[in-house]
Amino acid sequence: MANRTFSIGGSHTADKKLSKDCAIEVLPMPSTVYVSMNQHLGAPAKPLVAAGDTVKVGQVIGEPGGFISAFVHSPASGTVKSVAPRKDLAGNSTLCVEIAVEGDEWVEGVDLSDTLVKAVPEDRAFILDRIRLNGVVGLGGATFPAHVKLNPAPDKKAECLILNGSECEPYLTSDYRMMLEHPSEIIVGAAIMRRALGGCRCVIGIEDNKPEAVASMTKALDELKASGLEGYEDISILPLMKKYPQGGEKQLINAVMGREVKSLGLPIDVGAVVQNVMTAFATYEAVQKNKPLVSNVLTVTGDCLPIEKQHNYKFRIGMPLSYIAEYAGGVPEEAAKIVSGGPMMGKAIANLDAPTVKGSSSLLYLTEDQTRRGKESDCIRCGRCTEACPMGLEPFLLVKLARNAMMDELEANAVQDCIECGCCLYSCPAYIPLLDIIRIGKGDVMKIIKSRPRK
Amino acid sequence: MVGTIIWTVIILTVLGTALAVVLFLVARKFRVEEDSRIDEIEKTMPGANCGGCGFAGCRAFAESCVREGNLDKNFCPVGGNETMKKVASVLGIEAVAKAPLVAVVRCNGSCANRPLVNDYDGVKSCRVKATLYSGDTGCPFGCLGCGDCVSACAFGALSMDPETGLPVVDQDKCTGCGACAKACPKNIIELRPKGPRGMRVFVSCMNKDKGAVARKACSAACIGCGKCAKVCAQEAIVVADNLAYIDPAKCKLCKKCVAECPTGAIHAVNFPVLKPKPAPVAEESKEDVNNG
Amino acid sequence: MASRIVSPNPHLHAAVSTRSLMRDVVIALLPATAVSIVFYGWHELLLVAVSVASCVLLEWAITRYLLKKPSTIGDFSAVITGLLLALNVPSTCPWWVLAIGAVVAIGVAKMTFGGLGQNVFNPAITGRVFLLISFPAYMTNWAVPGSIGEAWGSSVVDAVSGATPLGIVKEGLASGMTLDEIYADNGFSYLEMLYSNLGGSAGELCVAALLLGFVYLLVRRVIKPHITLSIWASMFVFAGIFYLIDPSHFTDPVFNLLTGGVMLGSIYMATDYVTSPMSRSGMVVYGVGIGIITMLIRYFGAYPEGISFAILIMNAFVPIINRFCHNKKYGRA
Repeated sequence: MANRTFSIGGSHTADKKLSKDCAIEVLPMPSTVYVSMNQHLGAPAKPLVAAGDTVKVGQVIGEPGGFISAFVHSPASGTVKSVAPRKDLAGNSTLCVEIAVEGDEWVEGVDLSDTLVKAVPEDRAFILDRIRLNGVVGLGGATFPAHVKLNPAPDKKAECLILNGSECEPYLTSDYRMMLEHPSEIIVGAAIMRRALGGCRCVIGIEDNKPEAVASMTKALDELKASGLEGYEDISILPLMKKYPQGGEKQLINAVMGREVKSLGLPIDVGAVVQNVMTAFATYEAVQKNKPLVSNVLTVTGDCLPIEKQHNYKFRIGMPLSYIAEYAGGVPEEAAKIVSGGPMMGKAIANLDAPTVKGSSSLLYLTEDQTRRGKESDCIRCGRCTEACPMGLEPFLLVKLARNAMMDELEANAVQDCIECGCCLYSCPAYIPLLDIIRIGKGDVMKIIKSRPRK
Repeated sequence: MVGTIIWTVIILTVLGTALAVVLFLVARKFRVEEDSRIDEIEKTMPGANCGGCGFAGCRAFAESCVREGNLDKNFCPVGGNETMKKVASVLGIEAVAKAPLVAVVRCNGSCANRPLVNDYDGVKSCRVKATLYSGDTGCPFGCLGCGDCVSACAFGALSMDPETGLPVVDQDKCTGCGACAKACPKNIIELRPKGPRGMRVFVSCMNKDKGAVARKACSAACIGCGKCAKVCAQEAIVVADNLAYIDPAKCKLCKKCVAECPTGAIHAVNFPVLKPKPAPVAEESKEDVNNG
Repeated sequence: MASRIVSPNPHLHAAVSTRSLMRDVVIALLPATAVSIVFYGWHELLLVAVSVASCVLLEWAITRYLLKKPSTIGDFSAVITGLLLALNVPSTCPWWVLAIGAVVAIGVAKMTFGGLGQNVFNPAITGRVFLLISFPAYMTNWAVPGSIGEAWGSSVVDAVSGATPLGIVKEGLASGMTLDEIYADNGFSYLEMLYSNLGGSAGELCVAALLLGFVYLLVRRVIKPHITLSIWASMFVFAGIFYLIDPSHFTDPVFNLLTGGVMLGSIYMATDYVTSPMSRSGMVVYGVGIGIITMLIRYFGAYPEGISFAILIMNAFVPIINRFCHNKKYGRA
């Protein structure tokens, strides 16, 4: 029997995981790192250091700028050179702390050993505090502060923690490598999150194109269950059918629980909390080792790279993308576009000198042939966009409405439900820039919705 | 045969009369009393329904004028003072004259001045491009070149210059309605007073980066050096965030700043061409943008 | 540094284009075209060539000289229209009739609306119905295919002509015969219909070839089966009910499915993207509508076949079907 998946739409994108056999390597530190204060969803962090200060690895250098915000820690030890705006990967200015790297000295109280700490702490407040203070954010792409999601409003009850190990984007392999190399840490992280949520069940969803990951995680889970420690009951691993966007929060909830989040609703409304496997790893380090989130894993890949030049790197946040590209052997000639994140939802890099952030997950090189859009022609009403849309929307219609600025109709046709996964544009035979235009319409409609008085 | 014709005539007549009575009664019952001045004002309007006044169309503007009873908040930028005089006379009040405005493109980052570092491959829309990233060049403030302003203009006053990749304003067609300024996600279009015989001086740049960064991105950028502010006797020039701004209300069109600007970012347009002596650099760039 | 491409996501695209989809439809039509050419000979080859060439030329000329737009013939849609038109007329039809049909199909039904994607009615069917009404003599002079050698050796004039099975039935019923008598007189069998040497349009000669194309389209995911299957199902049920009531006057369901252009219409013309609904539920409504209207025309109308008219009628309903039928949206009832 085929494995479970979400029920509406989706695309069968190419099953390309070129760098899946490249073990994770640790990148050496560059001479300078630039730590952005805007590494998460929500308000930017406020810098706590000034030029001339000396910092250690793991030292707090930015404090949350609002309720939905996160701490930022120094990824390096050295001297702060400046606190000034720098261009991010889109070329827009963000405040960055520039640190000249000198050695690798960590702050006190961080457990740097490799020993697996299996015992899950009892105290919910302690767990949430450690997660918050160590700056853990969702590493699945949206970088939503983790402690906010793990601390739902008192009237909402979490029934199921879903750990997203689907890695449904083609090319990306960082989650996969982590599931192979650190399965126990991820599962301990899951158990900790479960405890924070009050002991709900936990399902780890992994797409079935990664049988090795399923096997590795199952083995680690069995071992932890056999250890006799508390906190590992009710955790299970669920292989899912490969279909994009399986890792979308709403799609994953549908695949795992068979429920649907209402329009403009939150996962917790149906009793679900979704976290990425990388977030679980970061949670493990934050809670068990008191280690702040200062590193992540990133894939350097692309069809134009020979296999020996493909890598999975453990990087410190703030390393410039160009430094990583250079270290990996330079940007290949054929690379017409460099994407940070997956090819479906990632961002095209306009400025390679931009620093990495907590959510950086790849340097993906695409060739001109692969990525240049075809010439737009008339809609032939084939309905492929509608079939592909995982939210069941009608992109062809939304585009017409958005082009004519028909806001009421756009809202009636649920443009605000769009998750911007790119399936419509991916599957359009006429190369109509569906998502480009729908995104604008969605923005306008959301503005109208938010401006309405709340009932 | 004749009987059929007679019957037909009778039935149609009766039917027609009955329906006419119904129409008459309904029209009476649902009659809306409307101030006749609204119609009168609407007749004086240009009728472009461009929305430059801030209302949905000319009729909405006319309704507002009548409702308010004064013209303090209402001004039709398209019809200008002529039209407003007529509107005022309908309302029986005095119109206050306003200086006519014209759209001014404050970016001179032409293809030659601003080297490309990226190649945009999305839908041709400045709005989409602006939400995606800072632009194809090193300057995150300048024109994106997709022509949202051109499509926003109801009067055909804007066009993209294929040579420079920048929008060009036809100042005879421009009514100063401001639709282009609203459409521009980078806010590089400013409505400025037209000036005597169209003469005006302005800083054709919006770059707030530090001088060196700005200069690297675009050879025609304002680098915020402040030389123009020093030379200005009217104190019309303010430099803030590495960017100079000329206050049109204070500017006396002396053009000293134009000669002083090291990057040619200050443009003076529609000045009579002086004697044909060898033109300095600043003069040259001025002629480039004679339509500016 | 060389300038790099920047665009909004997604950064990849499925290996599909309007051109590739249309090319797949042409490929799916090839078996049926080949069979008809083999069995009907030179004249059929001429018909296909004239029809395709005039459709493509016309589209090229209209985009070039009237609309002054870049040519759209590269998308293969005109080729499909031409092929379908040729397969939808009897093989005895004079070539110039097809040229006129092409003018109506491309010139009137397609390009006046703005070209591919804008038209309300299926061009090939519009062309066919125009010809059927304007040149009924040519359009119902059905050739009965002979053996292969015969077809290629003899001229068109010698071809044996006869009525279609549905036509024979309609005439027979009108003259007061019962179905059993008609069948006995003409010796129809289902097997014959599947590879068919009965009279009919050039394209419906071999149902098996058409079904082969259908499978190809499904496997390549060019079309979804909803429309075709709901046409078949509704015709089957509708005909089944009447057949059970009175088997001597109402033809049986399988007979109805295999004759009168149902295969050609339901697989290749009712599923035309442009003129069919977008949602799955809409497709079913549309298909059922076509099935029922076809059977109403066959049982109670003046024409023996009816599917062309049924598709045209339902084409007109597509906008309203699209308005009311939507796929299920996530998180909404």
